[in-house]
Amino acid sequence: MKKKFIIFISFILMLMLSACGQNNSNTKTATGTEKENSEEPRIASLSIHLTNDLLALGITPVGSVIGGDLKDFLPHVKEQLKNTKKLGIVKDPDMEAILELKPSVIYLDKEFSGQDISKYEKIAPTHVFDLDEGTWRDHLLSIGKLVNQEKQAQQFIADYEKESKEVQALIKKKFGEDNKVMAIRITAKELRVFGTKRPMGPILFQDLGLKPANGIENIDKNQPFEVISQEVLPDFDADAIFVIVNRDDEAKTAFNELEKTAIWKGLKAVKENQVYLIPDQPWLDYSALGNKMAMDHAKEIFSK
Amino acid sequence: MNYLLNKDNKRAFIVTTVFIFISVIVVLLSLNTGTLKISPLKIIQTFLGQGDFESSTVLFDYRMPRILITMLAGIGLGISGAILQGLSRNHLADPGILGLHAGAAFGLIIFVTYFHSMDKNIALFIPLFTFGGGALTALLIVLLAYDRYKGLLPIRLILVGIAISAGFSAITLFFSLRLNEETYSFASRWLVGNIWGRDWINVMALLPWILILAPFTWIKSKTLNALSLGDDIASGLGVSVEKNRILLLAAAVGLSCASVAMAGGIGFIGLVAPHLARRLVGTMYQHFLPLSGLIGLIILVLSDTIGRSIFQPNAIPAGIVVAAIGTPYFLYLLAKTK
Repeated sequence: MKKKFIIFISFILMLMLSACGQNNSNTKTATGTEKENSEEPRIASLSIHLTNDLLALGITPVGSVIGGDLKDFLPHVKEQLKNTKKLGIVKDPDMEAILELKPSVIYLDKEFSGQDISKYEKIAPTHVFDLDEGTWRDHLLSIGKLVNQEKQAQQFIADYEKESKEVQALIKKKFGEDNKVMAIRITAKELRVFGTKRPMGPILFQDLGLKPANGIENIDKNQPFEVISQEVLPDFDADAIFVIVNRDDEAKTAFNELEKTAIWKGLKAVKENQVYLIPDQPWLDYSALGNKMAMDHAKEIFSK
Repeated sequence: MNYLLNKDNKRAFIVTTVFIFISVIVVLLSLNTGTLKISPLKIIQTFLGQGDFESSTVLFDYRMPRILITMLAGIGLGISGAILQGLSRNHLADPGILGLHAGAAFGLIIFVTYFHSMDKNIALFIPLFTFGGGALTALLIVLLAYDRYKGLLPIRLILVGIAISAGFSAITLFFSLRLNEETYSFASRWLVGNIWGRDWINVMALLPWILILAPFTWIKSKTLNALSLGDDIASGLGVSVEKNRILLLAAAVGLSCASVAMAGGIGFIGLVAPHLARRLVGTMYQHFLPLSGLIGLIILVLSDTIGRSIFQPNAIPAGIVVAAIGTPYFLYLLAKTK
């Protein structure tokens, strides 16, 4: 009896051992072939904006974080990222998923991941980008340098500048010199006006060559927007207003309510029919690809 | 009498051993849950120091700190609830219901409002602030529930606690509205019980509180037994009622507030854990106190594991999972006590 039991146990142990051995050899071959195939770097991007800078260069990261509110990739690039692994939201990234990807390099946004650099460095070589320093052009160029695609980056920027000149001409034809504008965003709870900082400031007041409405430049330059009350809308005295309404129903209702008010109806831009509804994405995606898509959209608006 | 006590001892010993075993299984299950699949065998190998880079990083850097925090917080909340139920002589007492969590939240909001950089090392001070907030609420509750002739009135303790809790929640809400969006979203997720501590530093911030206060409470088991019989009997048994009550209340505040600081405002564990423990091994504190901590551990670790695995990719805070299970139980208890 005892003997049989010992034989049985040793049989099981043997099975386990052989199973382990097989497992090991399997994983080895798997990683081996992977390395042979991958000439492009396997990039894990911990910023939705850096992801879209990469896409602008025609590089698809193997993994990327998702938008915090959307809980998904940004809608305008979702199609291009269908083979990309979702790494959670940037404030609470899925570290295990990153580790599992075995990226060859990790791109970080200093604002969100600056404190955890050592954690990422343990997984793979890491590059940190400060998105508040310089414009997306600088970020694109430095990425271009890292992936040996400086020419493509320069070309992308040149194309963008060319398009921006075209749209500026269109705008001048439409508005003349009077083109003081403001951009607002309607959320379920509040009304925000964008300042000169990213994401809206640079594209509106530099790339599109529009002038900021009264008081826009007084908004804290370190903040992307300021919350205002409806009553002060007329004080900006804008010739045109760009409006972003959040995707949820509550925000849409809030905008409908706003449109009914006497204050809104009395605005110069509203009277002259110069209110432009623009989608939150790509306009709020401050990246090479996002701004390029927003520029395309602006061209469409002002060609009419 | 002696025979009965021995029988109880034996029963408590067996039940506690069984629950230690269950805890180990739950913890292993939790260690095994995550995006990256690691076989249980590999987990054991890794613990024996033979794991590869990948599994050891996942286990020691990502999963272990979080699970340890959940374990410690579960123990803290379970024991704190047991103390409070004894002191208030009311089986519906719980650090959340008594308003200690609201006070802790108040402390945290003060902390993030004035020192709002969430720098890693600062995590060590968070328990101090939540303890401060919790102690302030406890003090207010004791002052308001104190009767000059009859001492601390257990029933009033709970009612005053509920009122104070509402008041502190209002102040906390007021402060949190002034926070910037990022800190606000942290604070609001914290309030519903999101295990946010993910690093070893967070474990270190919580460990000493539990390591000191939990054994201290256990040593005081006999006092707790006496106190839960009523003040007159307790003083008749030679317990200095007021001094011990304050001391034990402070221990309960410390345990719950430190736990809550790292694990978020998790309610109901302090209510449910002592209840189940009492049912299993009887009402003697030396028997059910350790068990209460163990049950707290099991509930919280399980809830956190469920919250972060089933609803992927959007993890649900453990506090919500606990509340989903705890609320019906609480209502059941309410209906039954009547």
